[in-house]
Amino acid sequence: MIQLKHIFHWVNQGGKRVFILKDINMEVNEGEFISVMGASGSGKSTLLHILGTIQEPNEGDYFLKGESVYQLKEKQRSLLMKQNIGIVFQAYHLIDELTVYENIETPLLYLNIPASERKARVAEMLDKFQIVGKKDLFPSQLSGGQQQIVGIARALIIEPTLLLADEPTGNLNSKQGEEIMNIFKELNQEGVTIVQVTHSEKNAAYGTRIITLSDGQIEHAKNDQ
Amino acid sequence: MLKNYLKTAFRNLWRYKGFSLINISSLAVGITCCLIIGLFVWDELKYDKFIPEGENIYRMYTEDTDVNGTTSTASVAPMFATYLQSNYPEVESTTRLLMFNGKLLLEVNGISSYENKGLIADSSFFTMFPLKFLRGDPKTALEGATSVVISETLAKKYFPDADPIGKIIKIDKTDFAVKGVLAEIPEHFHLDLQYIIPMPAAGVEKERMERWTWNQFFTYVKVKPGTNVQLLQSKFQAAVKKEVHREFAADGSSYVPFFQPLKDIHLKSSEFIYDNAKRGNSVYVKGLSIIVLFVLIIACFNFINLATARSFRRAKEIGVRKVIGAHRSQLIFQFTGETILFSVIAVVLAALAAYLLLPSLNAFTGKSISFNPITDPALGAFLLATSVIIGILAGIYPALFMSGFQPIRVLKGLKPVNSGGSTIGLRQALVIVQFALSALLIICTIIVYNQMNFLQKKDLGFNKDQILYFDLPGDLAKDPETLKSELLKSTGIVSVTAGYGLPGDQLAGDGVIIPGKEGDRNQSVNLFIVDHDYIKTMGLKVLTGRDFSKEFKTDNEEAFIINETAVKEMGFGSTEQAIGQRLKWDKWEPDSINPVKKGKVIGVVKDFHYKSLHEKVSSAVLIIYPEATVKMAMKVKQEELPKTLDYIKTTWTKFSPAYPLDYKFLDENFEAMYQSEQKLSTLLWIFTMMAIFVGCLGLFGLAAFNAEQRTKEIGIRKVLGASSLDIVTMLSKNFLKPVLIASIIAFPVAWWLMKSWLEDFPYRIEITAWVFLLTAAASLLIAFLTVSFHAVKAAISNPVKSLRTE
Repeated sequence: MIQLKHIFHWVNQGGKRVFILKDINMEVNEGEFISVMGASGSGKSTLLHILGTIQEPNEGDYFLKGESVYQLKEKQRSLLMKQNIGIVFQAYHLIDELTVYENIETPLLYLNIPASERKARVAEMLDKFQIVGKKDLFPSQLSGGQQQIVGIARALIIEPTLLLADEPTGNLNSKQGEEIMNIFKELNQEGVTIVQVTHSEKNAAYGTRIITLSDGQIEHAKNDQ
Repeated sequence: MLKNYLKTAFRNLWRYKGFSLINISSLAVGITCCLIIGLFVWDELKYDKFIPEGENIYRMYTEDTDVNGTTSTASVAPMFATYLQSNYPEVESTTRLLMFNGKLLLEVNGISSYENKGLIADSSFFTMFPLKFLRGDPKTALEGATSVVISETLAKKYFPDADPIGKIIKIDKTDFAVKGVLAEIPEHFHLDLQYIIPMPAAGVEKERMERWTWNQFFTYVKVKPGTNVQLLQSKFQAAVKKEVHREFAADGSSYVPFFQPLKDIHLKSSEFIYDNAKRGNSVYVKGLSIIVLFVLIIACFNFINLATARSFRRAKEIGVRKVIGAHRSQLIFQFTGETILFSVIAVVLAALAAYLLLPSLNAFTGKSISFNPITDPALGAFLLATSVIIGILAGIYPALFMSGFQPIRVLKGLKPVNSGGSTIGLRQALVIVQFALSALLIICTIIVYNQMNFLQKKDLGFNKDQILYFDLPGDLAKDPETLKSELLKSTGIVSVTAGYGLPGDQLAGDGVIIPGKEGDRNQSVNLFIVDHDYIKTMGLKVLTGRDFSKEFKTDNEEAFIINETAVKEMGFGSTEQAIGQRLKWDKWEPDSINPVKKGKVIGVVKDFHYKSLHEKVSSAVLIIYPEATVKMAMKVKQEELPKTLDYIKTTWTKFSPAYPLDYKFLDENFEAMYQSEQKLSTLLWIFTMMAIFVGCLGLFGLAAFNAEQRTKEIGIRKVLGASSLDIVTMLSKNFLKPVLIASIIAFPVAWWLMKSWLEDFPYRIEITAWVFLLTAAASLLIAFLTVSFHAVKAAISNPVKSLRTE
């Protein structure tokens, strides 16, 4: 479903190129749950951002559903991404001025989904994560774990082909973290393809495959089947 | 989608209440100023627009050029109308008004008073200006020599119970029959009138009506639609040159007629020396518009400044929205929408404020402007459109800027743009512009105020206070001496003079002849017809020679007193040398024995400002010539003034029972001369205050954000040992520099502007450096006080708190 080919990314420091990612080649198949691991600065977040097209590498190709992402025009790319990719952040990144309900609804607004359908889909999401009672609260009124659940709900509302998660439990205590990871596992079982970046071996183990990055290169990939 | 945006906008507005308050209130103040001045300007532009086919109506004026320069006059010769009407087929009609002061005595069955707003007009007046009649037929109302058309006000005053049509009014002791009653005259008509009498009533001989040089008529011309007025004007200029110019050309002067469009009369006649129109001043209208634009610009800049400063707070929202699929254009739409929301709120508040302030504006300008956007949907729609435009203008830059944030940087918790310096640079630039505009206004205000003060305190060379004067009717004018001595019996009256030519009142321009070896030389002068008590009553100072005296029997026939300027212009050298110089003057009503007054200069008086200080004192000549006496003036004592007035009234009635007494004080005339500058000065004060207030609000907001953004830095610095004073200095320095730069930019502009404004005054103050120093100091002080509030707050806060939050 997803292919990254010869991805290079670097920054210039004092006239020298410092590589963040160096010749990354990887493939994500439908239904996989990949955990990307690596030390701080190994380039795992950058990799995730490239997958989410928040960032563009200096070199390389990215294919999503057979389309070469970087060949697409800005508008088409943006449409392809907002229809297919949901992102969950370590710091949740909810919009403070919007309620839980509105936060979850927002991506649908940008897809021009009609109001009645939006209502149905948000209701379904609230139900699924059992946060119906919190729908009118603002992010600041929720605990970290609850905020992250809202973040996940928001990422899933567009029914993405790929869910990206950047250290989704990084700001949470272990109990909350476990809860979130269980949600991811369930989602994966329901058929959602997931790529997560994590520090923790324990969380990585929830995945079906682990990719370890070291100094911008994939160390070894092992199939965990 | 829109709902989502609106919600975010309102919640943002509420969450950052302080920010919203500053933004909305500064914009509201700016828009209120705009509305108020806009209404005033709009009203000024409305003059004469109601007259049907007004675009085809022109008024004649002439430019006279002689050695003293060029003057424009709206009063022209009677032949203008006659010639235009009979020689050019493109002229549809003409109408003339005879120039006179408009004041006549009206009497009906014991109700009698002087009525001020009279016109003497050709019978075609109502064809050209179809004012609404309540009674009577406009076509025939001005026919004959004894008809009169009166306003509804006069109809109610003189005929409270009866239909005035056909009734008789005595006007200046002659019977006139009322032929029409006018409905309320539109406020935006350039003529102020209460009654109109036909031209034949003035009794001007046929010979005078055929003259090309008797410039006593306001003449209106209506051309047929599609006429090339430029062409008509040049044809007529050629004709006038042929008819008149030979009389003028000898001394190198010229006399050129022009067509002034009806719609220009109100605003573009301020330079005319004789005019009866209600005149505005296009310079002040423009000036006010510019000032108000300044205030609005300052308010809009606040918007931009605060929005870009605040944008970092919203960076996260922008990043998140982008990542979950918002397109840049959608974000621009969202953020511009927010500023539009702000400006709609501000406009609503401003409309309310304008509505409440309008009575004061009307009182101040003497207008009756109405303003109600609810009952006037066009106005409401206009306001709404304006608020949207202002919202877009103020919001587009911050929206473009914020929507350009890189989500990756935002989400990584970095500053949203690499070049964060650019917006700080922009904010500083905007602050500089704001304070430059404020400094400009401060300097202008101070200089205008000083000049007005100077004019009021300037020694006029005579004493204008406590001088009361009135017109003398025919028989009294012939023999004022008895009335004079009767009045002097009152202890409240210091001295009395009779003559023609009081400072600030009607003056006679004429010429005197200076006999010389190479022949006679003509010198144009202002002629003052006086008696032996004039100099004493007016408080003129005799520099050399002497006043007129009854001990010198020859003074009546042979004495001239001149002013200092006349000494110079006549080339007499010093004031001492002027004494004894010979002068001649052609009498106005030459008697067979002595058609020319021949005599010598017996005294020189100090220059006195008999016209407004807008004009330089010109040569003045004082002579005794009782035949021309028309007015009486007296110096009264301030104490027991009511008693003295009673005495004057009783005495008057004894001497002139037929005419009621109509007196005036001389200083009233002088106050009227500076009214427009006085008003300008007041308005400048008000709007300068507004501009400074709005600018400070913005600065206050910026300082708050600055202090907030640097909380951590301040904390660290304090931990490292910086004192509170160091912190205050550090935070304030940032703002004081742009303010100082702004002052320096404003200085040359203000200097140039004020220099050209002052050039209109022959008597003016010098622009001194202290005005600029004061302005710079004031700007700095205001800015410092504004900024230091937050600086001090930040400086005295506990560093532990600010560091813990990180």
